[in-house]
Amino acid sequence: MLSSMRSFVLITGATGGLGKAFAAECAARGWDLFLTDLSESRLALLAVGLSRLHNVEVKYRACNLADPAAREEFLKSLETAGLQFHFLINNAGLDFEGPFAERTPEELATVVRLNVEATVAITRWVLRLRDQARTFRILNVSSLAGFYPMPVKAVYAASKRFLLQFSLALHCELRGDDITVTALCPAGMPSNPGVIRSINAQGFMGRVTAKNVGFVAAKAIDRALAERAVYIPGLLNLFLSRLGSLVPSSVAAALINRRWRETSKRCTPSN
Amino acid sequence: MEHVGARREKTENTTGKNTTGKTAVITGATSGIGLAALKELAGLGFRVIGVGRAAKRCAEAEASIRSEMPGARVDYLVADLSSQRQVRDLAAAISRLLETENGGCLDLLVNNAGTVSSWYVTTEDGYEMQFAVNHLAPFLLTRELLPLLNKAGFARVITTSSGSHYNTRMNWRDVMYRRGYNCLLAYKQSKLANVLFTSEFNRRQGPGSRIRAYAVDPGLVNTGIGEKGTNGFVCWFWRIRRQRGVAPEIAARTIIHLATTPGLEDPEAVYWKDCRPKRPSGYSQREDAGRRLWELSERLTS
Repeated sequence: MLSSMRSFVLITGATGGLGKAFAAECAARGWDLFLTDLSESRLALLAVGLSRLHNVEVKYRACNLADPAAREEFLKSLETAGLQFHFLINNAGLDFEGPFAERTPEELATVVRLNVEATVAITRWVLRLRDQARTFRILNVSSLAGFYPMPVKAVYAASKRFLLQFSLALHCELRGDDITVTALCPAGMPSNPGVIRSINAQGFMGRVTAKNVGFVAAKAIDRALAERAVYIPGLLNLFLSRLGSLVPSSVAAALINRRWRETSKRCTPSN
Repeated sequence: MEHVGARREKTENTTGKNTTGKTAVITGATSGIGLAALKELAGLGFRVIGVGRAAKRCAEAEASIRSEMPGARVDYLVADLSSQRQVRDLAAAISRLLETENGGCLDLLVNNAGTVSSWYVTTEDGYEMQFAVNHLAPFLLTRELLPLLNKAGFARVITTSSGSHYNTRMNWRDVMYRRGYNCLLAYKQSKLANVLFTSEFNRRQGPGSRIRAYAVDPGLVNTGIGEKGTNGFVCWFWRIRRQRGVAPEIAARTIIHLATTPGLEDPEAVYWKDCRPKRPSGYSQREDAGRRLWELSERLTS
């Protein structure tokens, strides 16, 4: 019987701050996990840690999802292993901090390949491997940055905008097939020393918009189960996202441009 | 092995109650209470291994001690105690070092390293940072060093706890405080875990054991602990609060007292402040809680 087969939650970018929080949250709910990220050794440590804590099965496989060939091999391996999934968390994403003109073409392409292309490809592929006996959940990690054009984070913000629109459209389109799609749009999350430094550099605004990753992961899963289209953690962030649709894009871009310049000034000389 | 054992005995006979030739490991030894305790112990003739997270700070501390105290027998080892892998590697490195010197005998382990984190941050093993560094690391390091502690005539395991352990309980439903993370609650729980661990360790060793564990309450101490992993209110509050704290050297006295005073085998006195036993919280003495934490910690470090 198909329903007696184990079915897994696939989490990409699982060894990052938010990824680990998603993995811990899903494990706490008793779900078996399939984790992926760049480093095999980090995946192995996390898999052992989580299975000790929550007594669930944790499988993993390292893959550079930004590389189309590696990605395809990874996705095929899931199918070959005969795995089935009831939840997909598209969490892998990255940004190279700094002005557009200072980034290499390769870096910019990697942001698009991972944030956009990989999410689309994985979503399409894993739909075929869904556990037919259960509602299939997709959670896409977009960002508050998806609500406005963001100077200095231009490609990143645009890629997050893509994920937001992609999720909203699929949320409607796939509803009839017992598939739910939720976009998570958090502000900065203090999940590792680098991000914590940059949140501190943003000063008061950085701190009040930041939310703990444990809280964000738990709530995001609650919202996905409640079949919500979008989840923006924090009231202030919800307000900021609404502001993003009220204020003309050009004005928002100008305001953000000024704020980021101040932040980077504060960040650079002291570090 | 026989040869090594004989050498050890000789050291003890020649030193008597003197502390010369005794060995100590201190974690969190590049600043604050740990550094103060390390200097004091080195001055008393202990052979000391300090542990720090940053290679640079370890090298600086080692150099400054060597120049201040030319005769001191001090080495520093670098380990990030949030990583269980690194805790195990550290224990192996300590074993190797002491094996060549005295047959692998450790008289004193001071689990002093501690951290505060404003945010819910997880370790590479997927565990909450304060629980991992403040509790799981001492638990694992003590267990890994047990064979070395067993070789000492009378070994002591001292863990730096805190008055924060009062008025709180273990959050069994979510020990990692994942959903409702609160910096202070998670810190208090980790310091309660230190006392629970210490008491349970002694219960498991049984009466007449040649290893005893103590938890130290350093009181309010003027160190940087509240500023390193924090920001905003917590950081600001600690900066003000630490001004009222005593110097790390004063806080380290209780550790030195426990490390050097003979006849402290009294199993009732687990919690010490200002060189005197103090009554720990009622919850910290509950056997069911101690056993449950021990079993959980064993599972999480297995």
